[in-house]
Amino acid sequence: MKQAVEIAACVRSGQMSAMAVLDACLAGLAAEGGRLVAVTGILADRARMEAAAIDAAIASGRDPGPLAGVPYGVKDLFDIQGQPTTAGSALYAHAPPAIADAEAIVRLRGAGAVLVATLNMDEFAYGFATINARHGTTRNPHDLNRLAGGSSGGSAAIVAAQYLPFSLGSDTNGSVRVPASLTGIYGLKPTHGTLPMGGVFPFAHSFDDVGPFTRSIADMQCLWDVLTGGHDVPRDQIRVAQLGGRFRANADEDQIAAMQAIAPDAPLIDLPDIARARSAAFLITAAEGGALHREALGRDAMAFDPATRDRLLAGALLPQNLYEAAQAFRADYRQRITALIADHDVLLAPATPCVAPLIADPRILIDGALSPARADLGIHTQPISFIGLPSLSVPLRRPGRLPLGLQLIGKAGSEATLLRFAAMLEDKGLTGVTSPTDAYQGDA
Amino acid sequence: MVRVSKPSFLPDFLLLCLIATVACASLFPARGVAVPWVEATADMAIALLFFLHGAKLSRAAILQGAGNWRLHLYVLASTYILFPAIGLAMVALFRGVADGLLLTGLLYLTLLPSTVQSSIAFTAIAGGNVAAAVCSASLSNLVGLLLTPLLVGLFMALDGGGETLSWRSVQVIALQLLVPFLAGHMLRPWIGSFIDRHKRVLMPIDRGAILLVVYSAFSAAVVGGIWSQVGIPDLLLLLLLSIVMLLIVMGANLGLARLVGLPRADRIVLLFCGSKKSLVAGVPMAGALFPAAQVGVIILPLMIFHQIQLFLCAALAGWFARHPDDAPTMQRPPLPRSVPEIESAADKCGLTIPQACMAGVTANLALLDRHADTLFATDPS
Repeated sequence: MKQAVEIAACVRSGQMSAMAVLDACLAGLAAEGGRLVAVTGILADRARMEAAAIDAAIASGRDPGPLAGVPYGVKDLFDIQGQPTTAGSALYAHAPPAIADAEAIVRLRGAGAVLVATLNMDEFAYGFATINARHGTTRNPHDLNRLAGGSSGGSAAIVAAQYLPFSLGSDTNGSVRVPASLTGIYGLKPTHGTLPMGGVFPFAHSFDDVGPFTRSIADMQCLWDVLTGGHDVPRDQIRVAQLGGRFRANADEDQIAAMQAIAPDAPLIDLPDIARARSAAFLITAAEGGALHREALGRDAMAFDPATRDRLLAGALLPQNLYEAAQAFRADYRQRITALIADHDVLLAPATPCVAPLIADPRILIDGALSPARADLGIHTQPISFIGLPSLSVPLRRPGRLPLGLQLIGKAGSEATLLRFAAMLEDKGLTGVTSPTDAYQGDA
Repeated sequence: MVRVSKPSFLPDFLLLCLIATVACASLFPARGVAVPWVEATADMAIALLFFLHGAKLSRAAILQGAGNWRLHLYVLASTYILFPAIGLAMVALFRGVADGLLLTGLLYLTLLPSTVQSSIAFTAIAGGNVAAAVCSASLSNLVGLLLTPLLVGLFMALDGGGETLSWRSVQVIALQLLVPFLAGHMLRPWIGSFIDRHKRVLMPIDRGAILLVVYSAFSAAVVGGIWSQVGIPDLLLLLLLSIVMLLIVMGANLGLARLVGLPRADRIVLLFCGSKKSLVAGVPMAGALFPAAQVGVIILPLMIFHQIQLFLCAALAGWFARHPDDAPTMQRPPLPRSVPEIESAADKCGLTIPQACMAGVTANLALLDRHADTLFATDPS
């Protein structure tokens, strides 16, 4: 499938109708047949109405928007008018339908994009694996025996396999960047609070953000402009540093080599107290997640996915003063790190500590010991969300091998600079998407 | 970029130069025909100093840290409300005990803005919120440019010191302080980057101007008989009062910070920016605000306070740097771990843990307990 900007150009110029793009997309998704366990719902009727509206706009000479006719999907936690918002849980399968679209969907619709599908996730976004009791475990398109990462695993897998040109996920502790790294595509976690969270099922409000997945930086730039209005100006001179310490100690050799190739003279920065930061993030997430679901847990705990139920129950039992201590540490830490990185525009760090783990043995090596992938794949992303910085996961170019990503971390509000730097890396061939061998080869 | 130097307990170089200048003025005061020349040069030096202050002040730095407005209000309140209140109380307490002009000097120092450079440097060493410190200290200086002369006029009259804000003072403030400051600031788009790049080269001009004002002031004071007026007991009393004043302000700021729940990084800003008084601003302002014969005595308390604040802040910044956060001093809240503890905690928040979940909940609480250990560890490497 073409990139989003290419599809939009074809539709805008009349080479292809939005309806034809949609039909090809729906045919592709039907052919996929649930092999990836990435799609939880197809919104064919709604999509046809949106595509028809785009074609009508073009026919009447109106500007259909920069994403005219581009099909996309959203993680199963965005409000879609007329649909129950389930957040991947059987508990909300029969919830009252949403009365309006989430704000991010409204903005994409305004730009001409066509919503086609809802996508799989860890229940309530609590996990890095997309192991879901209701819908199943999402498979990695590069090796179906491996995890796609999570919690936005469906959103990542469907884009990596080229059934959709882009999708939206959410990132609380790494839920966009982890699956982006494991499936070899681009995933952006914006500066905390920059993209609209209206109509998105929350998880841990201190860290929740929405973020897009794409297969090119041109698409990511276009989405960023659509979702934000695109008023940012990137820096001309980009000062780069590499993150050392625990980031380097738990990195793949290829990630270290790539960071050296990208910025051989970049200074190595050790973020202090990184283990403490991750622990504080873990505790805040558990406490906020537990508090959010406390009432439902009290009503019917057994209706929850077993993989998240016990974690949420434990989080609900955390003492309030422990949560406050973690938040106090966060406030201090954010300011210390902001001062420490003041002289750098982009920090390079691994996005995940390893390639996608096997579904049959979902464990990874952290600090030399095996630990559960579901909880620990976000070891490198969690400390960054903890302080609210923007981070773009970029795929290393490694044909024939399992994907791996790097994080380009910026200062608050510097997404334009991150995108500019990522475009330079893509132009130089240092990063870029490698399609899975059996990626969808449809026309659209 | 803030240049961070190690905390030092030695008298700073500026103070040593000031002592040498005072000694020089005491031994070789400007007399006779030299006086108008020295005073005119000192006046020009004051104007030059404020021109440089204006050119150095970054509006962007103020705007960047302005979001933390609550913190900046606390710093301003400490600088312009708490300090003057303590100053007035001390003057009232020691009137008749200490020299009147020295007490005027003590009150004058409490009306001054905060320092910029050392407040930021100490905040950085202590691991505080540097962006907020830059904003707070800059704001304090900007506000002080107008507020300090007004407070001098108001409080000196209240104190009975006789000096009110006369028309001549207003003219002097406008010509020597405001106009050069505004001129420097207006020219910042053209000269700002040059000044920022050549701080080291410009520092001797900055410092030299201060020393010239001090020489001029002390020459007049020596001729007027300062050393028969001020003795060792006066200087010791000033030393003691400076220490007490600083301890009260720091204690109050720390107490306020805890009361309103400021995070540690902001507590450090309030502590350092809210407890400083600027010698660099105070000396030339005194030159502009007070009669030449009084300036020497009036700035004496400020010179003593300047060194005391450097001693204390260096020690405190070092302590903060060695104690990166409050975690070791906070009590680690216990987590429910055993089945009875878990059931009791669940009961308190209206939950019942299903039997089938107890093993999973116990395992997850054990994981969270390890994370709590890491959060509270002194060395979580």
